[in-house]
Parts: sequence; structure tokens; C-alpha cells
Amino acid sequence: MKRINLTGRALSDVALTVFDQSPEAAQELAGKNAPYGLILTTETAYSDLDPELIEKADLIAIDFPAFGDGRGFSLAVRLRKDFNFTGELRATGPVIPDQAQFLLRAGFDSVDTDDARAAAFQKAAGRFTAFYQTDYTGNTSVAHTRHGPSQRERKAS
Amino acid sequence: MAKKPVGPQMILANCLREGRALFFGRDGAWHAEPALADVAEGDGLDALMAKARAFADANNVIDPVFIPAEQKDDHYYPAHIKHVMQAKGPSVRPDLGYQVSPDWERR
Amino acid sequence: MYAYDPYDKEIVNTRVEEFRDQVNRRLSGELTEEEFRPLRLMNGLYLQLHAYMLRVAIPYGTLSSVQMRRLALIARKYDKGYGHFTTRQNIQYNWPKLVDTPDILLDLADVEMHAIQTSGNCIRNVTTDQFSGATADEIADPRPYAELIRQWSTFHPEFSFLPRKFKIAITGAPSDRAAVKWHDIGLVVRKNDAGDIGFEVLVGGGMGRTPVIAKTIRDFIPEADLLGYLEAILRVYNEQGRRDNKYKARIKILVEALGSDTFADLVEKEWQTTRHHPIDVPEAEIKRIEAFFAPPPLEVLPEQDPAVDELAANNFLFHAFLKNNVRPHKVPGHVNVTISLKPHGGIPGDATDAQMDLVADLADTYSLGEIRVSHEQNLILPHVARRDLPELYEALSRSGLGTANVGLISDIIACPGLDYCALANARSIPIAQNLAKRFDDITRLQDIGELKVKISGCINSCGHHHAGHIGILGVDRKGEEVYQLLLGGSGAEDASKAQILGPGFDENGIVDAVETVVAVYLGERQDGEKFLETYRRIGADPFKEAVYEAH
Repeated sequence: MKRINLTGRALSDVALTVFDQSPEAAQELAGKNAPYGLILTTETAYSDLDPELIEKADLIAIDFPAFGDGRGFSLAVRLRKDFNFTGELRATGPVIPDQAQFLLRAGFDSVDTDDARAAAFQKAAGRFTAFYQTDYTGNTSVAHTRHGPSQRERKAS
Repeated sequence: MAKKPVGPQMILANCLREGRALFFGRDGAWHAEPALADVAEGDGLDALMAKARAFADANNVIDPVFIPAEQKDDHYYPAHIKHVMQAKGPSVRPDLGYQVSPDWERR
Repeated sequence: MYAYDPYDKEIVNTRVEEFRDQVNRRLSGELTEEEFRPLRLMNGLYLQLHAYMLRVAIPYGTLSSVQMRRLALIARKYDKGYGHFTTRQNIQYNWPKLVDTPDILLDLADVEMHAIQTSGNCIRNVTTDQFSGATADEIADPRPYAELIRQWSTFHPEFSFLPRKFKIAITGAPSDRAAVKWHDIGLVVRKNDAGDIGFEVLVGGGMGRTPVIAKTIRDFIPEADLLGYLEAILRVYNEQGRRDNKYKARIKILVEALGSDTFADLVEKEWQTTRHHPIDVPEAEIKRIEAFFAPPPLEVLPEQDPAVDELAANNFLFHAFLKNNVRPHKVPGHVNVTISLKPHGGIPGDATDAQMDLVADLADTYSLGEIRVSHEQNLILPHVARRDLPELYEALSRSGLGTANVGLISDIIACPGLDYCALANARSIPIAQNLAKRFDDITRLQDIGELKVKISGCINSCGHHHAGHIGILGVDRKGEEVYQLLLGGSGAEDASKAQILGPGFDENGIVDAVETVVAVYLGERQDGEKFLETYRRIGADPFKEAVYEAH
């Protein structure tokens, strides 16, 4: 197993608690003064998450049961846009290298994958350089860049 | 475990590079003509599939599967219309199909 | 027409390289078939009964003559000399080799085309009215918005692995020629009291084994907010759509389960929380795209032309062509010409490379180089001067493209069926051919009038049988092809679900049954009534009695 760093940030090695197994136990982490990490699954409903618990986490891993389970992408977007989560977001499970850029743009920082796939992940993560969507990770859609930065600021303000 | 297919079976797969439907032959190679297909039944199925699967493992064909076969004259042919179609080509374009086996015409 | 800028080019070219890399990894064995399947599907590459099948996107059904010639070239160079235009305004090639597909994509990219998201559980090609920008009855040309949606949905980082495929259709006219109510999202261009453009938004339509007509969740979303609102719909669906059962994974099931009001509330709430985020594009971008679809510079010409009238008076088939295949353009003296891809005995939607080349040439000569594909699997020359019709008709007829049956009983939608498709249970094309043979007389066809027959070879409903005035569904009954007969469907603004009439028929019986249905209609119709009107007035019973009495 190899950990791929998609964004270049310093990766966390904090212990992880599975949120879905015991949301109450996980919730207690928020009250302690120690760094913590959470494992969410694609079954986790964002509405069950406590904003403080999420915002204070160092690391959140979203576990994909299958690479086609796209709920993981929306959950990642939620954590970034609705919970102001700025810690490390990690994808685990059978995600594939061809999803690297989708993961990156949905807000993931890192991926755990088989050693054999590491090189393909790295290659795929930088493949496209222009995007049709303004995402929650700072990429601006070509629709905005076509009309200059001033346009984007106006719209975003 | 999937249930073992009942009755005589042949093996059909698609060629990886080109996609065309191919039957696993008695000579251990893949053919467009179902008349050349190897046929097994009951206890003989596993051995036949093992031979065919080696080609899938070597990345030459995709998804070998058993298909029901029926005997007509001296040869076996696919029993189901879908597999008949795969062997012959589209019924609406007889000019383009694989109607390569003269046995088809005699059928 | 839209033209790529360097960004669009870069994105499509990068996609070609990416796909070449994926194909190479598959051929080398680095990718298993299981891993490669979803990757090739997201690029429209299926494995069908006889070969791979490549579905190429024709965004909102609009093609230039240059693009059409390229489609012809691909048919010649990589396939067996023909292609199949589909109910989603795309084209499918039936025989490409896997090893050739990266080169095909390169040839497509060269003319600003691609196969991106023509399959897979993602947002598919946006479809629209084939007469967009060339019809008097539209509020606005919907194609700029379709292009906006195309860009926003292409490689969307969040919505590329949805519970199931997702289809959006948009119409700019109140007369719905795009079947928007049968789509996951249907958009109808509206103008509010202030004269601003916006959209009525419908969700949850779809065919398959659970046919549902879409419900309106918002009467008016302003143009500037369209993408943000769509993004909210997709997010709610991506999070809450079912993933445990692929037959219950479409948005229609979610909308039915929650109720459309609750669904609308969820979307509204999500949309309000994201309105600060620049999902929607700057106004200048809408203007930029709209400029590509500016009304063509057509000269106003006389509505009548003596040469046209004379030929119509002397040539019965031209008269029929004029009546059935030609409709008025928004510019006086011009018309939209529908080229029927339903020659009697032919394969609905198929065109040879020579026919594609000819249509491209005719588009250059008579239609400002522009061509459309309709969801009814025909081609359209949208901007033809009425006075050119005799010449155009002559050229079309010589090449087997002059069939004057548009909108009539032999203008049949048919999916490829068991002749090609790995999912099919029964053949569709031979039924269409036998029906056209049975109703081979143009006088009889015209007497019967507008009658939309739609045939699917399995419950997935690619042949739109649920929306057929007469729908036919092929099923497999113990290895035999059996055909069910449905009546009373509509894909238009008065959308309705066709109902199964009774037990199914064999290949010959279904043609007899349709003939009986038509006979009942002709006997029952009151002055000028169309088939669907008669059916809605008298109900299914008289048809049922007649069809099953003989058996």
C-alpha cells in the first residue's frame, strides 16, 4: 500500500476513528485537546456530522467501497464547502488512477492505493490543466478565465 | 457459485483487440465458425473452461462464457437466438456478417 | 455554430491522449477488463454482440458539413461504410476495433468532436429541438444553454460517478420536439413578465422499466442561475439516489420516493447555500456563446415560388415531400427540410458514408453548411430557401434520401435491437422494415396521417416505445422473440405513457396487429382527428376488441 500525496501538503499520521461505528465516541474527540482523525464512508450522511467535530479534525479519510460510488466526491465537497474543513482529506478503498484528478478537484489531498498504481496516480493527477468548473479547491473554470480575473472576483464577491 | 449449465455447452468470448465474437474450438484456438467449437457437458465443463480461460488470462479474449449448444446434423450450433446472431452477424445486414461457415447455409 | 477556443481544444485533445493511454494499458494487461470497462464506457465505447460500438457525441444534434464529412470518413476508414444516428442525436459506429479507437478520437478532435460522456453513469449529451434557431415558434434558441451545460457537465469532478446515467433535454419552443418530459431533467425556455429569459425545470422523467413523466420543480430559474441550480439538483441526486439496485437508481425513483415537492425543497435549500460560489458563468460568457448561434444571415424571400408549385402539381412524390418533410423557417421564403433516414425496407437511422458526404455537400449548397440530427433519427437541413427545393429534392431522391414519410407511420424510431445490441431481447429493425413494407403506399400513409411508431428491443426503451402513439416492445419468451403492443404514448408537450394493450405477438402477428389498430382508428376518427386524438377520445377498448377478436 502506498500513500499518494496529491496536493503536496504535509500529510498527517494521526490515529483514525471510524465515525459510523460509534458517532458518540467520535464526538468525544472534539472535546479533547489532542489531534484526531476520522474515517467516514460513502454511507455517511453529511447531515449526521457535527460541524465542530469536522472542523477540528486533522485528517478525514473517506472510504470508497467501490470506485464507482460517487457519493464520496459529494461528501468531500460538503466537508470543504459546508463544514470549512481545512485538514487533510484522504481517499481510501478501490479508487483508480483515472479518478485522480476528480479526487483532487473534489478536495482530496491524498490517496491510499496499491504500490503498482502509484505511478499511474501521480501521472493522472496532473493530466488536465484546464477545467470547465470552478471547484472548491481553487481551480477556476475556463468560462471565468476567458473573461479575465476581474470577472471572477466580481461574481465571487 | 453459479449453477452449472445444463446440457451441451460451447464457449463464446470476444476478441480483445477487435471485439468480434469467437468460439473456442476443438483445436484449442478461437474461431468465428461455431461448427469448429468444442462442446462439453457436465463434468467436462470445468476442463474446457480452464483451457479457454488461459486465453483470457493471456489477454487475448474477453469474458469467455458457456452458451447452450444444440446438435444439428454432424455439428453443434448455438441454441439461443442471441448467440446465433453473434455467430452470423446482424440479420438485417447479411452482406456484412460473419456468415463464414458454409454449414450455416445448410442448416 | 459553436467553435472551440484554445481551452476547449486543449481539454478534448488531452482526453484523446488520456484514452490512448487507457487503451494501451488495457492492451498491455496493466488494466483488467473489469477496470477498463467503466473507462471505455465513459468514452462511449461498448462491447456489443459482434464488435465494439463507438458512440460519438453530436452536441444538441448540431453538425457542420465539415463534421458530417468527417463522420463519413470515419465510417469508411475504420468501420464498414455506415453509421447509425440515434434517439439521443448521436451517431454510433458498429464495427470499430479497440486498437483504432484512439485514432478515431483524434480524427474527431480535429473537427471539434468527441465521444466524451456518451455512456457511463454521468451527465450525457444534452439534447434539444432539431429546429432550434430556425423555427418561428421558439422563445429563444436553446443551443447556447445546451453548450453551457455541455461545458459545465464535461469531466465534472463531483458528478462523473452518479448512481446512474443522467440525461438533460432542453426546448426553446412550447411545442416540445425534444421530449423533455421524458428526461432526468427537462428544461423549457420561458420569458418572465419583465422579458427576461429563464427556464421551467422538470425532473424525474424517464423510460426503462419504470416509465415516469417529469414533474415541474421550478417554474422559472433565471438564465444567470441555471448552472448553479442544476448543480444543486445533481448534488442531491448524487448523495441520495439509490445505489443498491441499478433499476432503481435513476433520479425518477428518488423524486417519486421523496415526492417532487420535498425534492424541490432540498434542491432549493442546497442552491441557496451555494449561490455565492461562481458555478454560473459571467454574463460575458453567455454572450460569447450566444454569438456563435446568432441568427443566420438569410435574405427574406417570397413565400411562394412558381417552380416549386409547378413541380408539386406534376410530381406526386414531391408534393408529398413538400407536405411531410418541409416546414416553415422563421425567415420568410425559407424552410427546414427533414431528410428521412427511414427509407422503406431500410434500417431506421442508418446512413452510408456516401449519403453522409452527400448531405454535407447539400448543406453547403443549400443550408449554410449546417445540419441537424433529430431524436427521431432523421437529418435536417435547417436553412433552405424554398425556391431551392426542386433541386434539393432531386439530389436527395437520386441517393435514396427522398422518402416523403416524415411524421407518418413508416417514420419509425427503432433501437438497434438484437441485431447488434448485447442488452436486447428481440430484434427491432426487422419489425420496422416489415411495418414499412405493409404500409408502403404514400397515399395510404398520408391518409393515416401523423402516427409515431416507436420500437424497443428490450425494456431499456432506447426505441422510446413508452412514448409511441403506437409502441412496440420486444421481449424474450423462452428463447422466442415476442412483441408487446402499446398505445397512446406521447413524447411531445402533452406527454403520456403508452399502455400495453394485451398479450404479445410474434414477428408477423405484431405487424397484423398494428394494421388492425390503424383500421380501427380510420373507422372511428372524426373530422381531421389524428390517431392520438382518436385514441384519447375512445380509449383502448375498441382497439383491444378488434386486435384480440381475430386471435
